[in-house]
Amino acid sequence: MLEGKNLIVFFENAIAVNNLSFYVNKGEIVGILGSNGAGKTTLMNTISGLIMDMKLKEERKGGERITVLGQLLFEGKDITDLEPHKRVELGIVLSRERHPVFLESTVEENLRIAACSRRPKESRIGIDFVYSIFPHLKTIRKRRAGFLSGGEQQMLSIGMALMTKPKLILLDEPLLGLSPILQKELVRAIKEIRDDGVTVLITEQFARPILPIIDRGYVMENGMLVMEGKGSELIENPEVKAAYFGV
Amino acid sequence: MLTGIIVYGLVNSSILLLVALGFCLTFGVSRIANFAHGAIYILFGYLMWIFLNWLKIPFLFAILLTLVLSGIFGYVAYYVAVRRVRGIVLSEVVSTFALGVGILEFFRWMGFVTYEFSLPPIKKGSLYILGFPIDYQRLIIILAAIGLVAFLYFFTHYTKLGLSFRAIAQNERTAIALGIDADRVAALSVAFGSAFASVASILVLPLGIISINSGYEALLIAIAVGIVGGLESIPGMILASLVLGFVQIVVGVYVSSAWVMVVYLLAIIVILVVMPSGLLGKFKELEERV
Ligand SMILES: Nc1ncnc2c1ncn2[C@@H]1O[C@H](COP(=O)(O)OP(=O)(O)O)[C@@H](O)[C@H]1O
Ligand SMILES: [Mg+2]
Repeated sequence: MLEGKNLIVFFENAIAVNNLSFYVNKGEIVGILGSNGAGKTTLMNTISGLIMDMKLKEERKGGERITVLGQLLFEGKDITDLEPHKRVELGIVLSRERHPVFLESTVEENLRIAACSRRPKESRIGIDFVYSIFPHLKTIRKRRAGFLSGGEQQMLSIGMALMTKPKLILLDEPLLGLSPILQKELVRAIKEIRDDGVTVLITEQFARPILPIIDRGYVMENGMLVMEGKGSELIENPEVKAAYFGV
Repeated sequence: MLTGIIVYGLVNSSILLLVALGFCLTFGVSRIANFAHGAIYILFGYLMWIFLNWLKIPFLFAILLTLVLSGIFGYVAYYVAVRRVRGIVLSEVVSTFALGVGILEFFRWMGFVTYEFSLPPIKKGSLYILGFPIDYQRLIIILAAIGLVAFLYFFTHYTKLGLSFRAIAQNERTAIALGIDADRVAALSVAFGSAFASVASILVLPLGIISINSGYEALLIAIAVGIVGGLESIPGMILASLVLGFVQIVVGVYVSSAWVMVVYLLAIIVILVVMPSGLLGKFKELEERV
């Protein structure tokens, strides 16, 4: 469904994604595990196309600070140079790191905003679907997003991504900073999302909470994918254990 | 006297709000300070005049045509004058200001400077409120200001385009990640700002003649209301219009009408020194948008 070939992303003085290739099959949950600064967010931004927007803004200011090389294929189509909103149209959506939502709007308004690029008939269905996955969001739907807890904002952020009716959802560290109970709740939701037909690519620093649900995983270090394997294989690997279980 | 101050204060505040609304809308959504705003206000005043007097287009149709053309003009102006320098505030200001000066001085060069250039009121005549005479046009201006604010509220809360305006205004990168085309929204925000300017010119210009200088004055009004109100909140703009509008009338009555223009400049300076984010603005939003 999604394939990256020899992706390279340079920032002015650093290489954030270093010649990496990967693939995601339809219906999978694929994890990318790596510590802080490994390049996970840069990779997610490259797939969603946000990096194009960052690059454009830098270039308008006169700098040539971001370079993106390599190739991205989605359902066989080359999307390497596609603008982010066109990728959302194709069915790729990103729930950004640290769940930035529209703080001055209510929960329900956030969801309606997220459905802006969709036809209105589908919107209501989307909201019901999101509320069925995150029942808690329904109980706080009139509350302003600025008053939500981190966990609630994270649910909202994922819910907003779902409102675009994606085929592939990119989740950038959705469990970061959440309590174990909330992490469990989100992991359940992510599985439910996949069971509903949405392919999932998820990044995490700590493997423990997501290992049980991922079909495959990559380990990322300094912009490179250093290891690939089934969830169960990763769990057996002593290095993964040491590095990501905090043993 | 007090009735007079209240009525004319309200009229004046409504004028300021009408003139400033488009400028503030564009800025609030996409952070583009459209310094051609005053020129657009005058441009479509003249165009309306040409439709009525040269082309003899019926009044209501001329209004419609002016609104539509002003929207298209704003949209195109974004791609011509703003897009390449997007994000570099000084260049945006220089570019749009140059466009504005070009438009205004073009009309001066064409000789659009005599007393024949004035627009007809929407409704002639006047009535008495609490024993105080007020003409229908000024009354319409007050109602239109209220109506436009109501429209803006409805538009930004219940239409898809309005919701994507607010999305971009609140967090551009998240909006982009959700599939909103930031460039198109920016262009449309200039288009709406421009259409609002033409609404203002159709309503306000009939109170006097269309003059080049009122184009520069309109820009000053927009900046003053924007800075005093905080540039991104509708309540802030309403408050700023009321404060500036009433202060001007009081100054005009008790000091001298020569000082009326000074009110804008003083207000801008005082606010920038004392409350740089405006009466109801929130500077912190700038950080949250990153
Ligand atoms: N906007 C940027 N400008 C310069 N360097 C950046 C930028 N964003 C990320 N980097 C660098 O790229 C590397 C990868 O960062 P990131 O993708 O955020 O990693 P992760 O999400 O795994 O923590 C880091 O070394 C970081 O310093
Ligand atoms: Mg990250």
